[in-house]
Amino acid sequence: MQLNDKRIRNQLSVATASLLTAVAPVSQALESSSDWEVDTSVLYYSETDRVTAWEPVIRLRKDFGNDRFLTFKTVIDSLTGSSANGAIATGSAQTFTTPSGNSTYTTPANTTPLDPSFHDTRVAVNLGWEQPIAKDMTGIIGFNASNEYDYQSLGLSGTLKWDFNQKNSTLTAGLAYNADTVKPVGGLPVGFATMPTYPAVKPTQGTTEDKTIYDLILGWTQVLSRKDILQLNYVYGNESGYLTDPYKILTLVDGTTGDPVANPYVYEKRPDDRTRHALYAQWNHQFTQDVLRMSYRYFTDDWGIDSHTVDMRYRYELGGKHFLEPHFRYYTQTAADFYHTSLINGQIYDYASADYRLADLVTTTFGIKYGYAISDQSEFGIRLEQMNQQADPSQVIGNQASQDLVPDVDATILQFNYTLLF
Amino acid sequence: MEQSPLLTQRDDYWISEFFAMASPCQILMDVEDRAIASKLAYLAQQESFRIQKKFSRYSDNNIIYQINHSDGKAIEVDEETAALLDYAQQCFEISDGRFDITSGILRQAWTFDGSDHIPDKAQVAKYLDKIGWQKVSWQNPCIMLPKGMEIDLGGIGKEYAVDRSAMLLAQQCGESILVNYGGDLCATGERRNGQGWIVGVEDTANIEQASATDKRLHSKEEFELIRGGIATSGDTRRYLLKDGVRYSHILDPRTGWPVMDAPHSITVVANSCTEAGILATLAILHGKGAEQFLEEQGLTYWSQR
Repeated sequence: MQLNDKRIRNQLSVATASLLTAVAPVSQALESSSDWEVDTSVLYYSETDRVTAWEPVIRLRKDFGNDRFLTFKTVIDSLTGSSANGAIATGSAQTFTTPSGNSTYTTPANTTPLDPSFHDTRVAVNLGWEQPIAKDMTGIIGFNASNEYDYQSLGLSGTLKWDFNQKNSTLTAGLAYNADTVKPVGGLPVGFATMPTYPAVKPTQGTTEDKTIYDLILGWTQVLSRKDILQLNYVYGNESGYLTDPYKILTLVDGTTGDPVANPYVYEKRPDDRTRHALYAQWNHQFTQDVLRMSYRYFTDDWGIDSHTVDMRYRYELGGKHFLEPHFRYYTQTAADFYHTSLINGQIYDYASADYRLADLVTTTFGIKYGYAISDQSEFGIRLEQMNQQADPSQVIGNQASQDLVPDVDATILQFNYTLLF
Repeated sequence: MEQSPLLTQRDDYWISEFFAMASPCQILMDVEDRAIASKLAYLAQQESFRIQKKFSRYSDNNIIYQINHSDGKAIEVDEETAALLDYAQQCFEISDGRFDITSGILRQAWTFDGSDHIPDKAQVAKYLDKIGWQKVSWQNPCIMLPKGMEIDLGGIGKEYAVDRSAMLLAQQCGESILVNYGGDLCATGERRNGQGWIVGVEDTANIEQASATDKRLHSKEEFELIRGGIATSGDTRRYLLKDGVRYSHILDPRTGWPVMDAPHSITVVANSCTEAGILATLAILHGKGAEQFLEEQGLTYWSQR
């Protein structure tokens, strides 16, 4: 045979391929030399003239090898400040009884009534265990509990993840169950009952109520290319039981003038069932170094709320282990069917709430994060965000036109975080 | 005791250096995390040591030693050795006997120390009857080597270690890796920045850029390797010189003599480092026709004369 044609190269290619694949590489799991991962952060949230919150979070993740992980997370929320009680601003000063029934507070004329007794500390813990349960199949079980002086929550969750298509595709199915107990200060108010004038005490319907929440999560994650990942989620949720905010009231007004009637404050009442659906899509794209994350979420429930959220983050690598990440979020929702800025005297309502978070709402957030990798084992970050929330009243009646019925809420968010591997 | 590999961070990748198979070795890893880079480097070093230990002709307790000291008896070999013997047989057939793992015995006649000690024809001829893969009985998994013959996988060992290390690391890490054992290379794919690894080709003064088919060639000095292997064969450091004639250390097993008028070195780009190594060696064995052989095979190569 003469060595003068391309056959040699081709025959050699075939022979070499079979040599190199004859024996599988001696496989040793590439285990990270770090067994522990610790994430700590402190979040400061402050609404102008309203609520201020401090939220420290500690998250620990322990690698037990062979893809088995234990996760522990604890969150402490500490809230102080004032929160809108649901009544509208009027031309005169207004006096309210605190939820406990032990004191009163007065709101000046032409000012949105805020309940200053709003303070709370919530402690929450999460425990999770993740491990492979079959080839390409991972199981995660979780337990969570939280406690604050008027609310307890206990939850269990289970998730299955199935990798296929050479791990380029992942299907996720999860089920979560939460059993909550509400124990409001001063007892459970009766819906639509009139708030009595201090020192009289409000009528109550007991001291505790329950709330049950189910969530079903179906997810699909697809690696589209070396630089693109698409994630799609669908969440079905149902809440049943006591879904009312026991501290929120509404103002009963004259249908023509829009002015409050005598003893105008009544307790709100929400339906005892809520079914919701959410669709979520996230796309991550890696540029040469930078990363763009974009997400969109559509939400709808049988309370009449439809919402759309668009979120964008761009991680800009500054080099030398520094990065900047601008963040933009836009959220818009339609009002719940039973959202009423005020109630018209003489009309009959099945349910009503003046909680502005159930109103037609647009929230815009701008933020920026700066991160620095102190070493290969630790990273520090600081995030500053400004949020603006604009809600529309459901109806403006007569003299109400001279009031800002649902003022904007502005909030500043500052977060520090530190991650350590060891 | 073996040292753990040195690890250094470059702009956007990690590089590890260690010494194995009588060569300086480098692993370039397109990863961020030091812990991962360190683990990958360790795995590559272990793999190179493993292959060296298992197939080195200098060992007196490995499979090669057993085969070479079998006194004509059949030896049963493991799967990996069998795959290498199968491969050696195919290379022997494909190359018309130019590649022959039984030719190592010629080292007893030739010592390539840069001197002018050329053996005489009779000295070389007496080894020729101990050379020839066709005399070996190889029926996987048993090899029977005629008494007095020996095999030597040195001609493919380092390149095989490069490819195996690259495969092992690719299995552990999705990001691109470049394995470089003494100038023989393998890269596992596109880097995160969308490019390949830039490889410098040695002794550029005499390197001829000789592929019109490969548009990725930008300069004589640099080559962008995304996926595949590069290997060099030649006598730039190991040769004999007498009466102005340079005798390459690459011997033609059929004559026992170097091929005359061969390039000093040939560097070839191929699907794998092992393949590139065989092609480079075969090209040298074509002597004057080395470049023509590579052209005919449609390969990207550099030739130094």
